[in-house]
Amino acid sequence: MRKVVLIVEDEFLIALDLTLLLERRGWSVLGPVASVEAALRLLDNETPAVALLDVNLADGPVTLVAEALKARNVPFVMASAHSQPELYGGDVLIGAPNVGKPTDEHRLLAVLEQSLAGSV
Amino acid sequence: MNLEDFYRVIRNGHIRAQGIVDTVPDPLLVLDQNLLVESANRAFHETFDVSQDETIGKHLYELGNGQWNIPELRLLLEDVIPKSTAIIDYQVTHDFPRLGRRTMLLTAHRLYHPDNISRTLLLSIVDATERRQQEAEKDVLLGELRHRMKNFLALVQAIARQTLVEGRSGEQYRNAFLGRFNALVRAHEFAFADNRDIALQHLIERTLEPFPAHSSAVVIESGPAVVLTPGQLQPLSLILHELATNAVKYGALSAPNGQVRIHWTVETDSARRLRLWWQEVGGPPASPPVVTGFGTRLIQVAAAELGGHPELDYGPAGLKAEIIVPLGPSSEG
Repeated sequence: MRKVVLIVEDEFLIALDLTLLLERRGWSVLGPVASVEAALRLLDNETPAVALLDVNLADGPVTLVAEALKARNVPFVMASAHSQPELYGGDVLIGAPNVGKPTDEHRLLAVLEQSLAGSV
Repeated sequence: MNLEDFYRVIRNGHIRAQGIVDTVPDPLLVLDQNLLVESANRAFHETFDVSQDETIGKHLYELGNGQWNIPELRLLLEDVIPKSTAIIDYQVTHDFPRLGRRTMLLTAHRLYHPDNISRTLLLSIVDATERRQQEAEKDVLLGELRHRMKNFLALVQAIARQTLVEGRSGEQYRNAFLGRFNALVRAHEFAFADNRDIALQHLIERTLEPFPAHSSAVVIESGPAVVLTPGQLQPLSLILHELATNAVKYGALSAPNGQVRIHWTVETDSARRLRLWWQEVGGPPASPPVVTGFGTRLIQVAAAELGGHPELDYGPAGLKAEIIVPLGPSSEG
């Protein structure tokens, strides 16, 4: 499967960091997008292999994006400073791995690869 | 000791005991083995708005129209207390008819009489509703603080990870990293300052403070007053820092007589927007970077964050940058 990752993160500097980091490691990045609205609009036209999600976005929690991804069978990984993102984003986030924020590069890459492998 | 002396001793003891009960600042009841009220202190009468007559000799569960007839309390007094001598800070949340929903901390001590005939129970009732509420609010605040701290650490991680390493000494890397770090810290300080209204001019002055090599190297021409929102501080501060760093390395600030001129206007024709110009003169001719580095990407995403876009014009006279930032309608202009 093509290594295409959707990044949903509303802090522009962190979004840039994750984008550059993943691009250097052979990933193609969709986005990054900073809002639920922009993420849903993007998902209307494109389907990533996996998504990396922040919980609290400029226009609300990431819940609707996670639900849209689930409906399309796209696995998602959380990059959240919250230890329990589901408390802020709802039950749809239960079971999704959380690579944390700040985000360790090795863990991020390993978890994304796992999600990619698991979804085939 | 005759009977009269003996009586006096008992009486003194009783007065002293009542004095102690009355002195305790929290509501306190003295109950006999059948949970009838032997004595209640002033704090009890005041807190629960009941008179002496309504209290003394009454059964605990009858007090105040049965407001203490609480299943949790009954369990405590009838099952737990007989098996242990003391219960400390047992929490009961209950809707009290006159007080509303309160959280009470109950502490009970059983006093054993030497003759072992009657047993007295001391029951203190502390209203912890407000304390619990404050604790809950503090927890929320601490959670928010922890979240913000992690977020800030992620920003620091981003600049540490993305600051160029290739072809640099450790010292050069450190200086480049710390320059960006300080720009972040300053923006953060502004965002959490007591006076939240940060003027554009102030932000420019503070961000460029570390840079001028001589007194006229950086000229900030005052424009119309613009008050920045907290969300605009960080991107603007980072853009200015990147432009200044580039000027020191490749542009006007790398030449002895080079100069950076900054000025701005506020357009009000359709929507209010800020136009900020950065103009370098007296330095080497500017040419676009061969590879788009982190600094250039940072300027682009920071400008996009501001809802605008940067125009970078690499001319023979030096770099000319123009940044357009949409402004809210209400801030003073």
